[in-house]
Amino acid sequence: MLQDYLFPETISEAVSFLQNNEGQARIIAGGTDLLLDIPEGKVKTNCLVDINRISELKKITMEDGVIYIGAAVTHNQVAGSELIQEKAAALACAASCVGSHQVRNSATVAGNVCNAQPAADTAVALVALGATVEIATPDGTQYALVEKTYAGVGKSTIDSTCQLVTRVSFPAARKNQGTAFVRLHQRNALALPMLNVAVMVELAGGRFKWARICMAPVGPGPMRALSAEQALKDAEITPEVIEKASRAVLEHANPRNSALRGSKEYRTSVLPVLVRRALEQAVANAGGTCN
Amino acid sequence: MKEYKVIGQSVRRLDAVEKATGTAGFTSDMKLPGMLYGKVLRSPHPHARIVGIDTSEAEKLPGVKAVATYKNTPRELFNTSATMTFTVPPMLPVLDQYIFDNVVRYVGDEVAAVAATSEKIAEAALGLIKVEYELLPAVYDPKEALTPGAPVIHESEKKNIPGEIIQIPYGDVDKGFTESDIIIEKEFKLPVQKQAQMETQAAVAQVGLDGKITVWSTTQTPHPTKMILSKVFSIPESKIRVLNPPYIGGGFGVRIGCSAKAEPIAVALSMLAKKPVKVVYSRKEDFIASDTRHGGYVSVKLGAKKDGAFHAMYLKATLNGGAYCSFSVETPGVLGCMGLAVYRVPNQLYYGHSVYTNTTPAGAMRGFGNPQAMYAIESVVDMMAEKLGMDPLKLRLKNIMQVGDPWVLPYRCGSTGLAECIEKGAKSIGWENRGKLNKPGARKLRGIGMGVGTHVSNAWPFCGDYDNAYITVQQDGSVHLASGVPDMGTGTSTSLPQLVAEVVGVGLDQVSMTFADTASTPFDIGSHASRTLYAAGTAVVEAARDVRKQVLEYAADLFKVAPERLVLQDGVISAASQDAGAVGDNCSGAPVCKIGGVEKKSITLKELAYDAHLRNKQFIGVGRIVPDNAPPWHAHFAEVEVDTELCQVRVLKVAAVHDVGKAIHPVICEGQIEGGVLQGIGYALSEEIKYDEKGRQLENSFHKYMLLTADDVPEIEAMLVESNDPTGPFGAKGVGECGLVPTAPAIVNAIYDATGIRFYEIPVTEEKIFKALKEHVK
Repeated sequence: MLQDYLFPETISEAVSFLQNNEGQARIIAGGTDLLLDIPEGKVKTNCLVDINRISELKKITMEDGVIYIGAAVTHNQVAGSELIQEKAAALACAASCVGSHQVRNSATVAGNVCNAQPAADTAVALVALGATVEIATPDGTQYALVEKTYAGVGKSTIDSTCQLVTRVSFPAARKNQGTAFVRLHQRNALALPMLNVAVMVELAGGRFKWARICMAPVGPGPMRALSAEQALKDAEITPEVIEKASRAVLEHANPRNSALRGSKEYRTSVLPVLVRRALEQAVANAGGTCN
Repeated sequence: MKEYKVIGQSVRRLDAVEKATGTAGFTSDMKLPGMLYGKVLRSPHPHARIVGIDTSEAEKLPGVKAVATYKNTPRELFNTSATMTFTVPPMLPVLDQYIFDNVVRYVGDEVAAVAATSEKIAEAALGLIKVEYELLPAVYDPKEALTPGAPVIHESEKKNIPGEIIQIPYGDVDKGFTESDIIIEKEFKLPVQKQAQMETQAAVAQVGLDGKITVWSTTQTPHPTKMILSKVFSIPESKIRVLNPPYIGGGFGVRIGCSAKAEPIAVALSMLAKKPVKVVYSRKEDFIASDTRHGGYVSVKLGAKKDGAFHAMYLKATLNGGAYCSFSVETPGVLGCMGLAVYRVPNQLYYGHSVYTNTTPAGAMRGFGNPQAMYAIESVVDMMAEKLGMDPLKLRLKNIMQVGDPWVLPYRCGSTGLAECIEKGAKSIGWENRGKLNKPGARKLRGIGMGVGTHVSNAWPFCGDYDNAYITVQQDGSVHLASGVPDMGTGTSTSLPQLVAEVVGVGLDQVSMTFADTASTPFDIGSHASRTLYAAGTAVVEAARDVRKQVLEYAADLFKVAPERLVLQDGVISAASQDAGAVGDNCSGAPVCKIGGVEKKSITLKELAYDAHLRNKQFIGVGRIVPDNAPPWHAHFAEVEVDTELCQVRVLKVAAVHDVGKAIHPVICEGQIEGGVLQGIGYALSEEIKYDEKGRQLENSFHKYMLLTADDVPEIEAMLVESNDPTGPFGAKGVGECGLVPTAPAIVNAIYDATGIRFYEIPVTEEKIFKALKEHVK
């Protein structure tokens, strides 16, 4: 039963509030998932620690080519940020696809990661961007790749009863680098993705220098298409190469049969199309062409 | 053309400020002193007998004031829909429901209910009720439910067919097919669609110590609902008051009669607890335990001559009625009547009925069988055009019904603007580009399609249907209208006062309306069948004429002229000039009226009404009518883009042209059409409730049910055609349901135009396109 609702003003205060409640308290940021889970009994807590008054968590900044998104930054702030649109187009696009306008005004990107749903749009984009989360713990600051924070479906390695994600960071796209996000859904708002794909590429002289491809929901968390990435490494940018790599993603994809969001067969069939479109967009975003 | 002062104008809606500021009253906002909260225990099984039910633990929970089950509530069979109040002999209404029964027939069926001091306590108490079920075999598909040995869902209906089988013969259909040059026959499968109205089913019941019952609820038909409750609880209708508070958050047919079982459960709990009880369905309850559209099967066999003249049609419907009858007799009836009324076909036959299954009951939903009919018929008409090598638009123009044509309906086709609708829509969509939109090898294919249809403007002759209204001139000359219809968002609380203002001759700002309350309005059958403006409006016009006549007769005495010489306009009464040549008037100049010792050439209604008041008189106009019926007509054109790689359809534009007879409030008409188009797009592409192998509804929330959102709205061009029907108020016909009727066929025909693939089952989801494209390539 919820008894207390606390507003820490610093990160250390937030962590100590968690500590004082010995595992019974948990962090709340946007609350768009948590406030549904608590009445349904999926989450039990007697104290919520609201991080929205910690001013340093509310900023999007760039230092030395690295972009930092504070844990209290909402989806709409990310989607509307010129910096993100320019330097991480995939993330801006992913953030604009989540839920509805009202949800995006409240829900945070860090929360999207911590909630650990397999197809969380911004998490998929962040994995493609090679993002890292910074975690404040009683034992000091820890870092983890977003990709490594999945402990199973809906389970995060981050423990919100004693740890606080303070920010998410990733290198801003440089010249010759491009990103893209594509999403397959049954309607344009308030729909979970049937599939979503994010990619980041670096180009050099008509070739891919490297590519990172992330896709979901085809596994317990956002999944990297490692063999496709391997196939693109130093490969010439041609429609044939892209087509071949797009088909190779299936080696790392295991979509489920869903009565609501498409059969395994359908999703397996269209996933390469989405990857191809994402790669084409990312190449264009990086200033390259596919011919 | 006559110039009107108030009608035909898109005046600001009289409910606009209330609704925009969130102050308008709805049932779910209600709060009464001492009010308890009711919650319902629902069956987890699709078909089972309750062999034991123990409520003792629930009753012990502090805060629980009543627990209702089949053991302590009336054992009176009824039907939650208004069918039980207006089915006309020799037809008999199907009564197949109790408030609670000892057999449950679908997942979500009512088992028990609790009234407690808070929703939380009521919810907790439900968990303490112990129910022992004996599981019974279940069936979900209507065709399966018709096979020998299928589980019997109601002992009274051994064949699982509720009520009558509807058969409509016309001409000689066998001979017609023999004489036809080309025959096409196809079967179509239809989904279960949900009304998805904004406000869930809700009722607040207050049982007084004097035996009177007041029920505030979301019903679309307060007067028939009063009749249902009277029957269920054996209480005189005069002691039951049913009202909306005064608004309803949408309806789309889901509460013609009771709001699912919200009213009877609230009354039953209130009787047990002796306190007011509020029952508001959760969205999940609304999805699984209130009427849906009928899914099922419709087949069409169409025969034509070589020149394209339709010669024979056989239409057959096997609808999934779900676990209880609701409107399962009338829906296949309207499906058949509307399906046979669009084209001139000399030889026709319709055969249709519903089938009981262990699914959520199907009842009324916007279109009432007509969208089911027209998806199938308009698909087959397009196929016929292709076989004949004719433009499907020209084939339709050749065969559509004309004024005065004989048809199956027992009223006259008194007006049609369908040809004009088709021409306008074709121009808007660019019909001439059909077939020329795609470059060879394109992966995204565009296509254009069309569909047409008609509908009703009220429910007669499918059931009893009549209206009353009365109008009083207040002592200051302002005008009050009382009509028993609700305003479920369709704007009747604006458009009916518009009629009053126009007929009486006063400004709209002088008119006020009481509605949706059985205690303060005369009987009206309610808001359904696209009837409110047409049918209730006819009663309102009659009442307004009556009151105007009384006013002018009274004024005639003062002016000393014949009433025919007097004009009442903008709230001012004066005599028409001499050359009007009225009888009994010998004055040379304009007549004057003497009021309060002063002579005036004109007087205001305000002065006149007060004069009458001082002489002990009020003007009370009464309208009591049995409406005729009239066919609205509509043509929809859709342009779509099919992404053949992702197997998705995007609707780019819908041109929706409607013959509304006369638009009393054009913007309200256009809004109705746009809303209908969106529900039609959902019907065609995404909306569906499916069942798992345990009889559970897969789509039971807005999250899972793919209703279109504001972000999914394509370009819609809604256009009005005014054919001026001779029977409607100022020529108006129904419009409310029409937008849904021809939308799905227009889209499915457009998908065919784009891809060459015809879909015999809707909604055309990604999965269906995926499978069809795979087959197509083979």
